[in-house]
Amino acid sequence: MRFVPSILIGAGSRASRRDFIMLVGGAVASTVPAYAQRPPMPVIGYLGSETPDRYASRLAAFRNGLAESGYFEGRNIEIEYRWAEGQYRRLPALAKELADRQVTVIVAPGGAEVALAAKAATSAIPIVFEMGGDPIAIGLVSSLSRPAGNLTGVSSLSVEVSRKRLEFMSEMFPGTKLFAFAVNPASPTAESQLKNLQAAATSLGLELLVLKASAEAEFDALFATAAQERTGGLVFSSDPYFAYRSPQLAALAARQRVAAIMQSRDFPLAGGLMSYGGDFEQSHRHTGIYAGRILKGERPADLPVQRVTKVEMCINLKAAKALGISFPPALLTSADFVIE
Amino acid sequence: MRQSVFKRLAAPRMSLFEKYFVALFAAVVLPLLIAGGSEAWLSYRDRRAGLNSLLDTEARAAASKIQDFMEGIRDQLGWTVQLPWSEEPDDKRKLDAFFLLRQVPAVLSLTLVDRAGKERLFVSRIGLNRAESGEDYSASPAVQRAREERAWFGGVTFQRGSEPFMTIAVSGNRAAAGVAIAEVNLKFIWDVISAIKVGRTGAAFVLDRPGRLIAHPDISLVLRADDTATKPLQDLRAAILARPGEAVAGRDVTGSMVLAAMAPISGVSWSVVVKQPAAEAFGPIYAALWRTAGLLVAGAALAAALAYWLTQRMVRPIRVLEDGVARIGAGQFDHRIEIATGDEFERLAGRFNEMAGELALSQERSERIGRLKRFLAPQVAELIDRRGDEHMLDGRRVEAVVVFCDLRGFTAFSTRTEPETLIRLLGEYYDALERAATAHGGTLTNFTGDGAMVLVNAPVACPDPALSAAEMARAMQMSVQALLAGQRARAHHLGFGVGLAMGPATVGRIGSEGRLDYTAIGNVVNLAARLCSSAADGEILVDDNAARAIGSRLPLVALKARIFKGFDGPVSVFAIRLPTLKPDSASVGNAVG
Repeated sequence: MRFVPSILIGAGSRASRRDFIMLVGGAVASTVPAYAQRPPMPVIGYLGSETPDRYASRLAAFRNGLAESGYFEGRNIEIEYRWAEGQYRRLPALAKELADRQVTVIVAPGGAEVALAAKAATSAIPIVFEMGGDPIAIGLVSSLSRPAGNLTGVSSLSVEVSRKRLEFMSEMFPGTKLFAFAVNPASPTAESQLKNLQAAATSLGLELLVLKASAEAEFDALFATAAQERTGGLVFSSDPYFAYRSPQLAALAARQRVAAIMQSRDFPLAGGLMSYGGDFEQSHRHTGIYAGRILKGERPADLPVQRVTKVEMCINLKAAKALGISFPPALLTSADFVIE
Repeated sequence: MRQSVFKRLAAPRMSLFEKYFVALFAAVVLPLLIAGGSEAWLSYRDRRAGLNSLLDTEARAAASKIQDFMEGIRDQLGWTVQLPWSEEPDDKRKLDAFFLLRQVPAVLSLTLVDRAGKERLFVSRIGLNRAESGEDYSASPAVQRAREERAWFGGVTFQRGSEPFMTIAVSGNRAAAGVAIAEVNLKFIWDVISAIKVGRTGAAFVLDRPGRLIAHPDISLVLRADDTATKPLQDLRAAILARPGEAVAGRDVTGSMVLAAMAPISGVSWSVVVKQPAAEAFGPIYAALWRTAGLLVAGAALAAALAYWLTQRMVRPIRVLEDGVARIGAGQFDHRIEIATGDEFERLAGRFNEMAGELALSQERSERIGRLKRFLAPQVAELIDRRGDEHMLDGRRVEAVVVFCDLRGFTAFSTRTEPETLIRLLGEYYDALERAATAHGGTLTNFTGDGAMVLVNAPVACPDPALSAAEMARAMQMSVQALLAGQRARAHHLGFGVGLAMGPATVGRIGSEGRLDYTAIGNVVNLAARLCSSAADGEILVDDNAARAIGSRLPLVALKARIFKGFDGPVSVFAIRLPTLKPDSASVGNAVG
């Protein structure tokens, strides 16, 4: 109905399209039927926890995946976006909106919160999630190979490798025993990551200073504490909230002269010291592929949850130099990306 | 009547056209069909054999790619077991291990054990690294088998029921170099398998020995680790194993028909199966078959057209003949059959045309005679009929002999005699006259009641008309007298007299459209009539001219000259003496009937 001038819609009843075509006749007939006869385009509901700006690179990867399945936004697919703009409490309401809108498939990328909000909103509309960590552990699906229900998706290894970030920090500062660990208490995976990290610290003979931050206002304090307590460095838990704010955190780290490691390569790219985590481009691309396959009629239950196996390490030599430190050969060897 | 005869003949069981058409069509199409069919069959067989070898080659190529992948990992692992272990922690090896992880993304973790089978180093992408843990691996199959065989590929396990992993172990050249054990994520084979294209849309997949799916372009099928879902692929492999060296048609997971071939991957005892959608694989065959079919149809159509044309050419003259004969048979004698084929048909048509011409002539004649018969005295008509020349009836002047004869006392006789008897008597009388006239070349021109007029030398020429006429008259007298002799018993006073004169007369057809007569006009006619009137029963009176022409050939008696009305002066009259004169002939009355 988009092409129908609003005046005519106002005047007519529900049957107005046909009347309208009959009334206007030949003048519009040459252009209208092309639209009128095409079945309505399927709609993807895209639920994002942040702003389109912060999601830009992820969105691009997602669209690439869609394109691999043969879908192009605006051409044969429409995408309805709902952005929580960093206020994760709004996610359930936004997810509900998409469910009520009766979209064909809901895409819930960018973390466990988004996936859980989508799952709560509907048990009928297929959902494709994208997150780090174990989707079974947080109760999204019961099995990776056969995710019964309306959900499937992609998980990256970011959460599992949190302990590796601590290990790399310890490689960086072999003589230091105390490291700060930043967790977002609002995150569904905070608990498991903390436990995981504690165990790793024990086996590495290290001590952890656990710092909590779930709002941008707390970031300053985070770095200040890490610096004041003379920790060797700050290890970020795998949390999209942190990852999306990489530029901000990188700037703070530089200002407070804190060596920090995060899951997302956005961090060293923005001037942070290093990152170790799953390849979000791959995970978002696979999300797009899965969304496309569901649009083509496959059932989410038949699509196993994919784990993006690729884990990448990125180091920033400039940041190291600024901090007055240098990467040991083990880290240089392991790094997939080196920013000079 | 004739028409209907033709119509009955015109419905044969099978027309000549059909026969010729079927024969000619079959003569072209049958060889075409046989040639086309055998060509199609042969090309199908060639193409099928080609497909076998093509898919076999593809399978081998795919197998070697996957083998390269696996051996690549094995070779990379080999670098980590080049040097013997010392007792001290070895930082260099640690770097080598990190380097390996970076170089080979499929390796999830690497464990290095020394000659004693103790773990010296463990590095992982996900778990924490360990150094010098001293864990004992000497009993593990990886270490034992690697020491025996240099390199060992373990079985496939599906981590968390989804991701396929396998252990690869490699031992160094020397036992002192220890063994490298790597956990390899087989999902990375996807890069290899998805790059393999068979034909345009074909693909390859890998099954391990028990038949579990290890690699497939659709990675989710692998991750599902569901043997029931991948059952069709196992069946496909079983089918190939059952018929070695041949590409086998079967169904893949989506249920669509594929053509598949297989090659083993040595070292890991897996098999690579390459499959190509049957529609695509057989596409060229189908295209060729369609082409052949199209050519056959076109050939058949051409043959049909050719057969139709030829048959038409052959049958058309026959049809024309048939039609022409039917028309001629129906009486259309002016119809001519037009055939210009230059062959027997043309000749036959010519014969028919000739026949039609003759038929037309004879019909024309018979029509003319029919017409003449209607209007002329039958004798004259018959004469014309016999002679076939109507022109003899044209008016002309000849030296004719005119003979008149009639019965005496007939009027009185007729009044007291039954009509049947009268008519019968007249019939017999005329028969007698006719016979006599015909026998002597006379022409009976008309009957009037009991009288008749006979011409000699007209219209039919006669060499000696006077004598012929006289003899005819005698014959008439005798036969009529014989006839009358039978009648005299009850019919008295019947007599028969004849007058004969010779002289120039105008003869010809006279009359109107509806009535024609052949007659003579002239003095001689009057004279003959007068002589007849004057003749007594049994008498034949002859004029001077005739008598002179007869001469002495017949016994003539000169009578006293008589006066006739319309003639100046007495006319000499002769009588022909009859062989037996009736005794009472002189007593018969002279009344004219």
